[in-house]
Amino acid sequence: MVINKLSRRKFLSNFVGNLAFFFLANTFLLKRLNAKTRPKIVIVGLGIGGATCLQYLNKISNLVDIIVVEKLNEYQTGALSNLVIGNILKREKICFKINKNKYEKVKFIYENVSAIDVKNKSVRFSKDLKMNYDFLILSPGISYKNDILEGYSVTDQKNVPHCWDGESNIIQFKKRLTDLENNSKIIISSPDYPYRCPPAPYERASLIANYLKKLNKKAKILILDSKNSFTKQENYFREWEINYSDVIEWIPRRKGGKVTFYDQKKNLVKNSDGQIFRGEFIHIIPEQKAANIFYDSGLLNEGKDWCQINPISFEVDNFKDIYAVGDSIDAWAMPKSAFSANSQAKVLAINLINKILEKEYVDPVFLNTCYSFSKEDRAFSISAWYRLNVKKDKIISLGSIESNVNANNSDRKLEAEHAFGWYETMVNDLFI
Amino acid sequence: MNKISFYFILFFSISLFADEDQTINLIVENCKSCHNLSIETTKKIPSINNLEKDEFVRIMKKYKNDRDNSVMNRISKVLTNRDILKMADKIYGNK
Repeated sequence: MVINKLSRRKFLSNFVGNLAFFFLANTFLLKRLNAKTRPKIVIVGLGIGGATCLQYLNKISNLVDIIVVEKLNEYQTGALSNLVIGNILKREKICFKINKNKYEKVKFIYENVSAIDVKNKSVRFSKDLKMNYDFLILSPGISYKNDILEGYSVTDQKNVPHCWDGESNIIQFKKRLTDLENNSKIIISSPDYPYRCPPAPYERASLIANYLKKLNKKAKILILDSKNSFTKQENYFREWEINYSDVIEWIPRRKGGKVTFYDQKKNLVKNSDGQIFRGEFIHIIPEQKAANIFYDSGLLNEGKDWCQINPISFEVDNFKDIYAVGDSIDAWAMPKSAFSANSQAKVLAINLINKILEKEYVDPVFLNTCYSFSKEDRAFSISAWYRLNVKKDKIISLGSIESNVNANNSDRKLEAEHAFGWYETMVNDLFI
Repeated sequence: MNKISFYFILFFSISLFADEDQTINLIVENCKSCHNLSIETTKKIPSINNLEKDEFVRIMKKYKNDRDNSVMNRISKVLTNRDILKMADKIYGNK
């Protein structure tokens, strides 16, 4: 009986103690979260940047409410999309629906966001609906400059689709390519920096050449470039020499590569000197800028095409609690690539968690590796680490290094396998 | 690799990453982009979890000191030996 009494007393004592601890812990946690309710994080855009943020923030989904807003049910990656154009992969292989089972506490809304009401901290949808946020993450991709090239409209359906985002009609692009007759001339207009995936115009030219070769169609591919040089240039030149000799020709800006006029009906373009180039397949890759939502919400600094951010937190300059990541931001030395977006989003999410838990920010470290294919079994890459400068106000490169120009066949093949491996790991991690 | 890039990287490799555990965590998070840390990963790039800690350190040092210009060679050049050991601690535990 004595033991029982002691046990009961001990039990009551423990119970009261636990209750007090539970109460204090909750009070402490609420204080730490610095909010009357659970903080609400809204992520706009479920591409690589948005999905990476989601993956990391999901780790604290018991402490915060996470809402994802995406206009499309299915995401088509930019990465490896040139392999679809080149008939190496089926489109289905680069299209994903998020596996919601991985994110049980996350709410997904498939709507278009028209603008952000910064003053009232809310996201406005197209149907006059709005949603409040405590923290907003924008990862909406890019938009296009529609006034650079006379005669060209990004929205004109009769043009060859630019296929520079997941909404572009890649199947139509491929059909028009496949339907080309023997000895056709293809013109690719490559944009000026900065733009999404810098080596992609040249990869696309390579894989188009590869595809037409397999169809036993002779073709000439003329790249008219708004730049005087491009990333991995020497590797591309070497690959073209080996695989597509006399098929691909590159004209830099200084030699008249900048296209200034396009006539869809006459199938021609003109350069700044008035020189005319005619082709059966004219593929304009438009000049690019931050996604429209940044313009429509007044989030860009005067005269800027890209969103200015703090390189530690990724908070948009002058806009508290709004964060941006991916191709719409000016990330200084970092190129606009899927790998970059993935790496940046990890820092954003980790430091947002630190902010919510009132911990110190981590000094960022970023990595980028960008693979390019010249054939299905030949690829090469460029890699770089990035960190902050001494003032901690910009991202600097520690020096990028690319594959050996004279790499042998097995090295090229190995890099192709690595490219597929990186992609598979990333999409498995984020979407499947 | 051109000489300027190489010396540039050598210079920074001494001071690249602070000893903060959080920074090492971020380096490891970037490794996950290709390697993942789960056993179930692509056959084309092995998971780091399939290695023993010592093996990881040995392989990373080999990548760092090789001159084969593979992706891993380029990426690991900026890491110090101490970075590699700390990464191993982070991934496999401080045993």
